[in-house]
Amino acid sequence: MENAIEIKNLCKTYKNGRGIDNINLDISSGDIFGFLGPNGAGKTTAMKIMTGLMKPDRGDVKILGHSILTEFEKAIYNVGCIIETAEAYPYLTAFENLRQFSRYYKDVDTGRIMEILDAVGLLKYKDEKPARFSLGMKQRLGIASSLLSKPRVVILDEPLNGMDVEGMINVRNIIKNLAENEGTTFFISSHLIHDIELTCKHVGILYNGRVINVDSTENILNSYASLENYFISEVERNDRI
Amino acid sequence: MIEFKQALINEIEKLYKKKKAAAAVVLSLIFIVFGQIFISLVRNNFGVQGVSSSEFPLLILSIIINILLPLFVALVTIDSFCGEFSQNTMKITLTRPITRLKLYSAKIASICIFIFSILVLSMIFSIISGLIFNSNSFNLSDIFKITISYIVTLFPMVILCLVIVLLANIFKNGIAVFFLSILVFIAFKSMEIFFPAYSGIFFTSMFGWYNLWIMDNIPLLKIFREFMMMLSYAIILYTAGYYIFDNKDF
Repeated sequence: MENAIEIKNLCKTYKNGRGIDNINLDISSGDIFGFLGPNGAGKTTAMKIMTGLMKPDRGDVKILGHSILTEFEKAIYNVGCIIETAEAYPYLTAFENLRQFSRYYKDVDTGRIMEILDAVGLLKYKDEKPARFSLGMKQRLGIASSLLSKPRVVILDEPLNGMDVEGMINVRNIIKNLAENEGTTFFISSHLIHDIELTCKHVGILYNGRVINVDSTENILNSYASLENYFISEVERNDRI
Repeated sequence: MIEFKQALINEIEKLYKKKKAAAAVVLSLIFIVFGQIFISLVRNNFGVQGVSSSEFPLLILSIIINILLPLFVALVTIDSFCGEFSQNTMKITLTRPITRLKLYSAKIASICIFIFSILVLSMIFSIISGLIFNSNSFNLSDIFKITISYIVTLFPMVILCLVIVLLANIFKNGIAVFFLSILVFIAFKSMEIFFPAYSGIFFTSMFGWYNLWIMDNIPLLKIFREFMMMLSYAIILYTAGYYIFDNKDF
């Protein structure tokens, strides 16, 4: 199967010495890839480089065959993302926020904006400003903006932050449906390990800036009682090393 | 160029929705009306001539380019860059299919459109105000001189905008950039006084270059020299600001 995301020798070191070191990952089209790691492991750094918010010291990321460093517009055209927190312009309404993003894409019209607002349960709040939204509603708006252009690759950093149970189930179903029916590739990091277990087909573990293991969720659950047990065991094993 | 155009539309929409631009327009108009009332009072009560209808727009221009407009330019520029850095909203545009160069250019272009709009509105209102409060007549030559004065003032204001853009990209904090911009402005104005021989190279001295355009004998060579100086400033400041913006991690 064609690779949607190719990460090659990705390195980035901050002044404090932390960062990511030589990350290599290939993620197939239609996969839902879970990116796990303790706080400060480098998940957000990797995702920021993947979306062009940060430049790596070395290495490259290719999305659908286009380098994020040399062909940014082509690479990012088919990408939707939430990085760190779902942000929106507080002085624009939910609809106006999405209309701002829609202008960068050819096929996104008012009908598509309404459709995506309905999908995340925000249609009745479309004329309200995000400044008055709860954390969960802001997150829903973030999900809507990341899926607005029907991207082929979606990168989500903590997508379920602050969401209620209904919202989490709703977003999980959207992700699974898009992966199955549209072949959309998802790259998700979350501290909600149970949710990663329920949603993702493959899981990669990042520890101290290095990818220590990548496996399918099915294989992991054949050997461990839960993804949490696998995660703890992998982290402890690497701690000893 | 499609991406640049879309980014420019977005930036103008944001400027409009934030209401800072509208507030700047209203303040300018209030300033013009109060200025005119003040001049009328002085003339009627103290017998001072004041200014004629054709001189009033130029008097307003000389005041707004040294006080009001630099303040508005600073506020809008800082909001466009530092405001988005601090609210973390810059990254939602940077993760869209547009290069940083196009986004940076669109932001500056939107501020230039804002400056131009303020200048045009101030010109129209000061002409109307001049006509209403002063009975002296306008002629076509006066209108032409006033129009030229307001239009060419856009150039030094763009340089000021680029200075603030550079500062906003060096220092992320909006308040720090605002006060630093004021300090830079005062420092350059002071240097003009203390080093008059070199005043031509300070960008603040170019604020009054519209005076060259309305002289009876237009000094074309001097205008060209000042234009080239501003162009040099623009290229250096634009490039330096873009270099920092492009290498910034979000």
